[in-house]
Amino acid sequence: MTRNAEGALIVAAALMAAFGVALVNIAGQESIGDDVALTFFVMITAFGALHAAVRRWAPRGTPYLIPLAALLASVGLSEIYRLNREMASLQKWWILIGAGLGILTLWGLSSVGTQILRRYRYIMLLLAMVLLLLPLLPQQWPLPIRGLAVNGSRLWVSLNLGFIEMRFQPGEIVKLLIVAFLASFLAERQAALTMRTRKVGPFEFPEPRQMIPILVAWFASFGVMVYQRDLGASLLLFSAFIAMMYAATGRNTYLVVGGGLFTVGAVAAWSAFSHVQTRLEAWLAPFDNYETTGYQISNGIFAMASGSLSGTGLGLGRPSLIAFAPTDFIFAAVGEELGLVGSVLILAMYALIISVGMGIALRSRDLFRKLLAAGLTFTFGLQSLLIIGGIVRLFPLTGITLPFMSYGGSSLVANFVLIAMLIRISHEERV
Amino acid sequence: MNGPIRRLTLALLVGFSLLLANVVYIQAVATDRYRNDYRNARVQLARSERERGVMIDRNSVVLVSSERQASTFLRTYPFGDLLGHPIGFSSLLFNDRGLEAAYASDLRSKQDLTISNVIAGVLGNDLRPANLRLTLDVALQQIATEALGDQVGAVVAIEPATGAILAYVSSPGFDPAILIGGDAGPAGDTLDADPAEPLRDRVVNQLYPPGSIFKIVTTAAALESGEITIESTFPNPTALALPGSESTISNADGRSCGSGAEVSLARGFISSCNTTFAQVAMTLGTRALEAQAEAFGFGSDIPFIFPIEQSLFSPVDLTDDLPALAQTSIGQRDVRVTPLHMALMVAGIANRGQLMSPYLVSEVIDGDGQVVSLTQPELWRKASSESTALTITQLMVDAVNSGTGTNARIDGVQVAGKTGTAENPGQAPHAWFVGFAPADQPTIAIAVVVEFGGLAGDEASGGRTAAPIAQKTMERWLKP
Repeated sequence: MTRNAEGALIVAAALMAAFGVALVNIAGQESIGDDVALTFFVMITAFGALHAAVRRWAPRGTPYLIPLAALLASVGLSEIYRLNREMASLQKWWILIGAGLGILTLWGLSSVGTQILRRYRYIMLLLAMVLLLLPLLPQQWPLPIRGLAVNGSRLWVSLNLGFIEMRFQPGEIVKLLIVAFLASFLAERQAALTMRTRKVGPFEFPEPRQMIPILVAWFASFGVMVYQRDLGASLLLFSAFIAMMYAATGRNTYLVVGGGLFTVGAVAAWSAFSHVQTRLEAWLAPFDNYETTGYQISNGIFAMASGSLSGTGLGLGRPSLIAFAPTDFIFAAVGEELGLVGSVLILAMYALIISVGMGIALRSRDLFRKLLAAGLTFTFGLQSLLIIGGIVRLFPLTGITLPFMSYGGSSLVANFVLIAMLIRISHEERV
Repeated sequence: MNGPIRRLTLALLVGFSLLLANVVYIQAVATDRYRNDYRNARVQLARSERERGVMIDRNSVVLVSSERQASTFLRTYPFGDLLGHPIGFSSLLFNDRGLEAAYASDLRSKQDLTISNVIAGVLGNDLRPANLRLTLDVALQQIATEALGDQVGAVVAIEPATGAILAYVSSPGFDPAILIGGDAGPAGDTLDADPAEPLRDRVVNQLYPPGSIFKIVTTAAALESGEITIESTFPNPTALALPGSESTISNADGRSCGSGAEVSLARGFISSCNTTFAQVAMTLGTRALEAQAEAFGFGSDIPFIFPIEQSLFSPVDLTDDLPALAQTSIGQRDVRVTPLHMALMVAGIANRGQLMSPYLVSEVIDGDGQVVSLTQPELWRKASSESTALTITQLMVDAVNSGTGTNARIDGVQVAGKTGTAENPGQAPHAWFVGFAPADQPTIAIAVVVEFGGLAGDEASGGRTAAPIAQKTMERWLKP
C-alpha cells in the first residue's frame, strides 16, 4: 500500500464520519446541518495533517495505521454525536489536539530518531512518576494545577489557566512513558538479564541487582495506581511489564511469576476493595443482580442484543439507555446501532492494528525498537481486549477507554502519540 | 526475541477471537432472550411509542384508545374497571390478556422499522393499526355492573339469534390502566393478593354448581325422550327417599310441591321442585340426561376468542347410582358450569334450540374507517327440537309470571326465566338467574350468578338475589 492509498482512505474515513453525522440528523428528522461539514473538516484536517507529517518525517513508515485509526475515530465520533452533541464538539477538539501531538511526536523524533527515548529513559521514568502523582495534588490550593476527584477516583488533574480549565488523566500518557522506559531498560540489560541467572527450583531468575530499577518502577507505578483505585490501568500496566520482560528474555519464568503475582494481587484487591467484589458479582451474574451491581452490564447486553445482526441504524436505537455510553460502553452503543456487522468490523480493525504493530516489532532489527513496538502494541491491544471483554462478559468490567472510539481527551491524545511512535519505528526499520 | 512476541500476538488474537464468539452469541444466538427481557427498557418504550387501535362499542362509544403524548402513546381506558375483563391489557410486566391480547396483531401499528414493515410501507400498504367494533353495549354493561354492585359474581347478556355478547361483567373488576406500565408491579401484587380475585374472569374462568337452572336441561331431556310431557305427573312427597340409600331429596321450602298427591312436570318447573325433577331423571335414566347435557355443550370447548373452562356433567358414570343422578338432575352433585355457558344455554332455548357461537368483536375496521372483517353469526350446536325449546319457553314464562322468578318481571314485556339456588355445603348458596325477553321474539338472553349469596348471604336465592339484576339489565336493553 502506498502513501497515496493512505491519503485516499483518510478521505474515505472522513466522509464516513460526515455520513454518520448526516444519518443521525436524518434519523432525528433534523435538517442536515453544519455539523456534517464540520465533522468532515475536522477529520480531514486532523488525519490529513498527520498524513502530511508522516510524508515529511517518516516517509517509509507503515501506511496502515492512520486509516485504521481514522475509521475507528469516525465510527466513535458519529456515535458520540448521536449520544451527546456537546461531547461530540469536545471530541472534535481532542481529535485535533491528539493529531497535533502525534505530529509533534513525529517531528520530535525526526532528527535523532526513537533512540532519543532510549537515551533519556530515567527522565521519562521520573516524568511518569510525577504525572502519576499529579492527581494526588490537593483539590484546593493556590497553584492552578490541582488534583480532581471524579466518581470517587483520583485519576484526574485540572489545569486552570484562567481563561480555560482543562482536565486530563495523566495515567494514559504514563503508560507510554513506562513502556518506553521498559523497552530502553530491557534492551540495555537484555544480555545481563538472560545470561547471568540463578536457578531457584525449575525457574531461572536474573541477578537481583539487575532487577532493582525495574522493581522500583513496578512498585511505584503499580502502587500509586492501586492507591488511586484505578485497577483497570494497574492491570494494564502490570501486564505490560510482564509481557515486555517475557518478550525481552523469552523466559516462561516471567509468565509464571506474573500469573502468580496477578493471582495474589487479584485476591488481595478482591478482599480489600468492595468495588472489586461488586465488579466480580456483576460479571458472574449481571441479570440476577440487575437492580444493583448488574445494571450497567445487563443494559450493555440488552443494547447489543437489540441491535441484533444489522443494528437499528445510526440514530435509530436507544443507546442513551446505556450507562456511560460515550466512554466505557461505546462498543455496546455502536453494537446496538450498527449491529453484529458493525461489532465484527470494529473487532477486525483492532485485530488489524495489533497485527500491524506486532509486525513492526517482529521485523525490527534493533532490540530497543522491537521491544518498544511490541510493548506499545501490546498495551493498545490489551486495553481494547479488556474493555470490550468487560462489555461482552468475557472479563469483569474495568473502567478503561476503548482506543480512538471512546469519548475522552487523554485517551485520544495518548493513542495518537502511540501510533505516531509505531509509524516512526517502522520508518526507521525500513531503510 | 521474535518467538515471545509471536506468542504475545497470538494471545491477543486468541482474546479477540473469544470477543468475536461472545459478540456473535449476544447479537446472533441468544439475541431474542436478551432483547425481549422485560427489564430491557426498549421493550417498554417500543410499546408506548406505537399507536394501538381503538375499540368502540356497538353504538360507537370509544372504550379504549391511544392518546398521543409528544412521541409516545398512552393507552387510555375511559371506563376504567367497567371493562377490564373483556378488554384486558397489553402490559409490560404481566401476561397480555383479554381482547388486547386476542387481537394484538390487528391492534398494533405496523409503522416500525422492521424490514418487512418498511417494505410494506414503501409498497403503499396501510400501516396504521386496525380498530375493533365490539358487540358490547357500554350502557348495558354499566347497568348490569351497578345492579351487581359490590357482590361477587358475573352477568352475561347475549343476543340469542346471533351469539353477540351484549354485556360481559365479572365482579369485582379491575382498571387495566394501573397494570400496563413498567411500574405496575405493586398494583399487580395487590390485585393478586385480593381474596376476591379481581383478576379472575368469572365469565369464562370460574366453574359454579348451577342448581335449579340445570332443570332446563333435565326438562329438555324429558321432552326430547317422547316418554314424558309437561302434563306427565309424579308422586308429590315432602321428601323423596332415594333408592338404595338413606338420603332424601326435598324442596327449598321443605314442603311438598303444591297440595295434590300428584304433581305435573310443568308445576314442578314453575315452582322449581327438586322432588319432581329427581323422579323425572330417575325415570329417564343417566344416558338420556347426559346426552341432553352434551347437546347443550357440557364437556365441549366453546368456540370463543378466550379459552373457556369446560362445563361438567359428571366425572363418573351415574348409571348405577340413582341418588347421584337425582342430585345431578337438579344441578347439584358434580355439575359445574361457567356463566357464559349458561347464557349460551338459555339463549339457545330463546333461539328455538339452536346455540350460536358467542362473539365479542363484530367488525375489524381499518385506518380509513372501512370494515375489513365482519363477524358472521355461526351455529355452534343444535341442543333440542324447536318444539321442546318453545315448550320450555312457556314454562319459563310461567315461572316468571307466577313461579320463582317473579322478581324478573318487566312492565309491558313478557320475560321468560329460571332461577337457581346452588347449595354450597357449609356456605351461603350461589344465586342464579337465566332468562330472556321478550319471550316471543327474544332480543336478549341473560345469565346472572351471585357468588355465595352476595349481600343476602344465607338468605339468598335465585329469585330474590339474581332475578332483580337480570330484570334491571334486560329492562335497560328493551326500554333504552
